[in-house]
Amino acid sequence: MTRGYFAVLTLLQLSLRVRSAPICAFGAKCHVPTLADVFERVIQQSSRMHSISSDLHAEFDSYPSRKQVGKWKCHTHDILAPGDKKNAQSLGREELTQVILRLLGAWRDPLLQLHQSMRQQQEEDQGPHSSNMALEMSDVIQELRAGVLKMADKMKLLGVLSGNTVAPAPPEGALHSSGSYKRGAASPVDHNDLLHCLSRDSDKVKNYLRILQCSTLPGLEC
Amino acid sequence: MRNILEWTCLLLLLATLRANSHSPPEKPTLTSCRSPEKETFTCWWQPGSDGGLPTTYALYYRKENTDAVYECPDYFTAGENSCFFNKNDTSIWVNYNITVVATNRLGSTFSDPVDIDVVYIVQPNSPENVSLTVMEDKGWPFLRVAWEPPPKADTRSGWITLVYEIRIRLEGENEWVIHVAGQQKLFNIFSLRSGGSYLVQVRCKPDHGFWSEWSSASHIRFPDYFHREKSTWIVVTVFCAFMVLSVTWLLRMNGHSLKHYLLPPVPGPKIKGFNQQLLKNGKSEDVFSALVMSDFPPMSSSNYEDLLVEYLEVYVPDEQEVKSKELHGGCFKLESSTSDSDSGRGSCDSHTLLMDKCGPSNGNGDHPMGTEDQVGGRDWDDGLDAKEDMSGLDVGRVKTWPSVFSPLPTSASSLLNQQISRELTKHHCLSDSMFCTQGVLGPEFSLCSAQLAMPQLIESRSDFNIHKLSAEKDRVQAVTEDTSAILQTFVPQERDYSKVRRVGSGNMLLLQRVSERGPDACEEKSNSAGTNVKTPSVCLHSAMQGQKDTVLATSGYVDTAAMVPMPTY
Repeated sequence: MTRGYFAVLTLLQLSLRVRSAPICAFGAKCHVPTLADVFERVIQQSSRMHSISSDLHAEFDSYPSRKQVGKWKCHTHDILAPGDKKNAQSLGREELTQVILRLLGAWRDPLLQLHQSMRQQQEEDQGPHSSNMALEMSDVIQELRAGVLKMADKMKLLGVLSGNTVAPAPPEGALHSSGSYKRGAASPVDHNDLLHCLSRDSDKVKNYLRILQCSTLPGLEC
Repeated sequence: MRNILEWTCLLLLLATLRANSHSPPEKPTLTSCRSPEKETFTCWWQPGSDGGLPTTYALYYRKENTDAVYECPDYFTAGENSCFFNKNDTSIWVNYNITVVATNRLGSTFSDPVDIDVVYIVQPNSPENVSLTVMEDKGWPFLRVAWEPPPKADTRSGWITLVYEIRIRLEGENEWVIHVAGQQKLFNIFSLRSGGSYLVQVRCKPDHGFWSEWSSASHIRFPDYFHREKSTWIVVTVFCAFMVLSVTWLLRMNGHSLKHYLLPPVPGPKIKGFNQQLLKNGKSEDVFSALVMSDFPPMSSSNYEDLLVEYLEVYVPDEQEVKSKELHGGCFKLESSTSDSDSGRGSCDSHTLLMDKCGPSNGNGDHPMGTEDQVGGRDWDDGLDAKEDMSGLDVGRVKTWPSVFSPLPTSASSLLNQQISRELTKHHCLSDSMFCTQGVLGPEFSLCSAQLAMPQLIESRSDFNIHKLSAEKDRVQAVTEDTSAILQTFVPQERDYSKVRRVGSGNMLLLQRVSERGPDACEEKSNSAGTNVKTPSVCLHSAMQGQKDTVLATSGYVDTAAMVPMPTY
């Protein structure tokens, strides 16, 4: 019995140890990325996200937009995303990071739903192009979120970020959504609005990350 | 009274007319809205016609998803017909719905609403402080362009991200070269012309927005690094000069041989006795008569020493005529030196061939010698002895004739190749009718060959002891070393010679009787001994027609002895 316990414990320890150490191929010395590298990567990813969203939006832009007709809000409208420089700078790094994570988290479900509704509609109007883009977008956002988390961890390690735990935010978008996707019936009009919101939010994320980068690592690039 | 009434009517009419030309203002148009730094923005509009009345313009905007309508906070900062939104009034990522209203006394007109998002209307100012410096990289100069972002754009905090572009051109040219610099604030330009005068401009653009205006042109004059190029040219020039000099010198030294190598001289006609001058002079008779060689056929003995081949006369000691030999018959072998390294022997002279020929006809196993000739018989006994003795002889070679002197029966199958050693050719006796060589095979050994009217080509290639040429007579005269027996059929008046067709292998001397034989017999005898001289063998198998007459070349007899200088070995 004790031997079994002992075995289980060692296995656990080993697994934990293995997990903690970075795994590199061929036992070579791992290149641990610096914070600058992580920032670079994250900003690249956010640029990509924004370009995909712009492409998607451009495809649907021909449809009439509800925002012109009446009141229409993005489902992320109540996430306190600073809308000008002063506000953005007045937020600390931690809050800004939180905002980023919240924004990214809020888009997970809507994107999946968007992809599904696009796929349903693709026989009618468009090919699988848009739905694939939506799927790709969903993946990119997930990756970006993970990257931002890593970045936050690193910042915390370096002491740049304060010790407040930056926990992954719950998907708030589901709570505050007013988008049509929640209703389940999605039309191209709804798509258009959604994509408009997505394009905007991705630009916000990109901008906030840039602010974070320049405030954390001032260099030749900023 | 009426005049006054008329005048008032007219005035009233004018007044009403004037009043009717007024109209509400025309619809104004929002031309553009721009933000220089993503923190403020300005909108401009274009007024329509004012309808003749003083018209005021007002700009109203509504923010996204709100009902409140606001009026432009600042009409003056940005100039006429503009509205300036300061930082407090500007929200990014928010849709603005902007409308301009033109109002006059008669009414107001709304312009078409415009939706803008400040993020998408950013157009920064031009970059400033463009500095140009010439720097050196391992001795090669390049241009470093440095600048600063427009002052209002806050790139330092990361609020706005700009990318830059540079363009450069030579003064006096029209084409600009554009370099994309990305987000960096300095850029190096290489490969510029030395001593060139350049103009440089920079501009920038945010992520999504518009390009700024080009900065004011900065001027720079690139330095002359001509001296560096000059040194290269000097080196190149010196090298070329050196090459030219060396080639010239080589040509001078070896010009002649080089000329021969490149342009080999064309061999001109070399006909003996041919005189070009005569030809030029024009008399063909003279020319052709000159061609006729006076000394042809050569009679004098002056050149005998030059003759390559010496004729050996084989004299049969007794009166018997030497029979000519059958081609297929026996063979008269004369011993020759044992070694025959001559490889140039023709098939006619093949050793084995001749052996085959001579073998069966030879009664004597040891001495495969025999002939049906009359040379045989008693004479042949002597000849046998002679053969034996001659077997020990190393000499007895008939020198080879140069092929140039072989106007011979073109069959040229086999050749009597003999090589007379130097010792053998010590004595030459050449006469009009006969020439013979007396060699030291043994001192007694002398072979004289008959002289023919026509020189005959014999090319000896191996150690043939005897080379027999006989045009008319069948005579074999052989003198061996030991014996003084001379196989000779000697007719004092005339000499009978047997025509030795060939000296084939196995020391077979093939003789042919001239008188009887047609031109067909041709025998071979090859030299079993080796010789160093390689000469082709020519088969003399043309018939001998005349007796003492001049034997035509076709007969196979060529008095080459007279013509050919005997090579001295």
